[in-house]
Amino acid sequence: MSLTIVRLYHDLLGTYGDQGNAEILVYRAKARSIEVELIEVTPGMAVPRSGDIYLLGGGEDGPQSAALEMLKTDGGLNYAAAGGAAVLAICAGFQIIGESLPDANGQVTSGLGLVDAHTTYDSSPRSVGELVIEPSRGELPMLTGFENHQGLTQLGEEMTPLGRVRAGVGNGFDEHEGVWHGNVFGSYMHGPALARNPELADVVLRCAVGPLTEFIDPFAIAFANERRTTLA
Amino acid sequence: MTGSLRLAAACKAGELAGRLSIGLGRGRGETLSGKVILALDPKAISKLGVNRDIVLVSGTNGKTTSTKNLAKILRDFSGEGVSTSESGANMPAGITALLAKKPRNRFAVIECDELYLPEMYRELKPKVVVLLNLSRDQLHRTGEVRKIAKLWHKTFTKDDVTIVINRDDPFLEYSVADAGHVIRVGFGGRRHPDAATCPSCATISDWSAGDYLCSCGLGSRLPDVRADKRLNGPQRNTVLVIEAAKLMGTEIRADEAQVLISNAPDRIHNFEAAGREVPTHLAKNPESWRQALADITVDQVVLSVNARGIDGRDTSWLWDIDYSKLLGKKIVCTGDRRLDVAYRLSVQGIDVSVATTFTEAVQVLASQPIQAIVSYTAFQDLLTAELGISTGKSGSR
Repeated sequence: MSLTIVRLYHDLLGTYGDQGNAEILVYRAKARSIEVELIEVTPGMAVPRSGDIYLLGGGEDGPQSAALEMLKTDGGLNYAAAGGAAVLAICAGFQIIGESLPDANGQVTSGLGLVDAHTTYDSSPRSVGELVIEPSRGELPMLTGFENHQGLTQLGEEMTPLGRVRAGVGNGFDEHEGVWHGNVFGSYMHGPALARNPELADVVLRCAVGPLTEFIDPFAIAFANERRTTLA
Repeated sequence: MTGSLRLAAACKAGELAGRLSIGLGRGRGETLSGKVILALDPKAISKLGVNRDIVLVSGTNGKTTSTKNLAKILRDFSGEGVSTSESGANMPAGITALLAKKPRNRFAVIECDELYLPEMYRELKPKVVVLLNLSRDQLHRTGEVRKIAKLWHKTFTKDDVTIVINRDDPFLEYSVADAGHVIRVGFGGRRHPDAATCPSCATISDWSAGDYLCSCGLGSRLPDVRADKRLNGPQRNTVLVIEAAKLMGTEIRADEAQVLISNAPDRIHNFEAAGREVPTHLAKNPESWRQALADITVDQVVLSVNARGIDGRDTSWLWDIDYSKLLGKKIVCTGDRRLDVAYRLSVQGIDVSVATTFTEAVQVLASQPIQAIVSYTAFQDLLTAELGISTGKSGSR
């Protein structure tokens, strides 16, 4: 079995350590003897259309706008997502995959539209701190991460959040955190999210490769549990 | 009460509060002393800055070391007393305390937290500002690297202050774009990991030649001083410090400058643990970790990571660093967030274990040499234990 993971513009969308999500997916896939290729997409490169998992991270306003414009022009990510590829988009990346968001000058611009989500910035203090969520689907335990964002994101009625906020701000509407729509995941959780929640890493992997064999990683479990226990 | 009487009374009360704080074993007393002075005279900072030749030193990495270095150079070369922070307290309270201590010293070299630099610049009217570097650090507090660059950009306008910068850092070049007098020190360019887009116009930066030159013009100003590309971080900071010392009227010959650069001070301290000496790097963000990792020469390393306020409360940045230098070595992680770093290393295939305390971490290692890299508060804790102070909370960021 083989798996292609595409990390998109991590120079632009790697301010908050989210590039680690790719390393965790590669590590957990290899532990199951899955052959993995990690493709780094940098500005100027075409986005591969046949990837299995696409990753977007958090970044600052200017770089976020630059990444969004390139993704719109390229079209590769929308093509792959329409074909069922998994997408994990964090923070600025989560805002990018929605319907609309503010650009670097604060003007409303259209996003990639992979999920029905609208991001706005208001003058309230930046949402910064530990985030604890109860996942929307029962197969996952309590999830934790660290949020650091100005924007607030409202989901459309047809959308399911990744979870309900138990501590922190999350999307800022209806106790929602993130989004879980088919194989597309959005979240404000840094940490990186898949380091602090190895079970979520396996959910994303399963979207691409189906059922996984068991893999017990003591450090991953100890780390995730330490955060969950401390923040409970 | 007249302005000067009020200040004198405030300083006296501050001095007493500082002594009380030391007497109670609450650290060095600077922050409390400064808070008392500012409470009694809110204009104390600007009053204490009058008739002084002040240098402000700011940047992400190397502030404390460069401040001490510049104060020493000014002392050694001018023979005059220099007021400076002893502890790295770099916010208004700590700065007030250090200025109140020796009000007659003409020179003051002041370390300043990045977010407080605009306020201190306006209050203290420095002669020279040294901007060392700007990269991601404490994002829970600053939000974004660009936010600080924008703040500084608005601060430095056409006045008679001279600003010394490392022009290889595009965030600094943008910070001083509207400034009146700038000394640009260039080291031949180096890709900045946080500057994938131009800090000024947000266009994608072209780093293919190892330097930046944006179509908006950022990066087009030539360096006033060119220095060796091979210099490490502390040495680069020393080159900027020497330029600042010259602006303050110090004469430093080229051969003397060379010696100062070769002996650039670093944030390394030899701590004793379990009866063994452990050379320990203070590293608190991706860039300082990269520099510390480059200095690892032994096969056993202790890493200590906390995420208390001033360390940065989010540990995600641990994933920004390439730890391949540690492959094949024996690593023990400690600190409040030992599992964060241990898990990150294990994903990179590094042999790692955890220990509850720094001493225990040293004890599990063999008798061969050990080096350590520790985060800010972990370093403070080790220093505090060494000095025998009970709770040495520092106001430094």
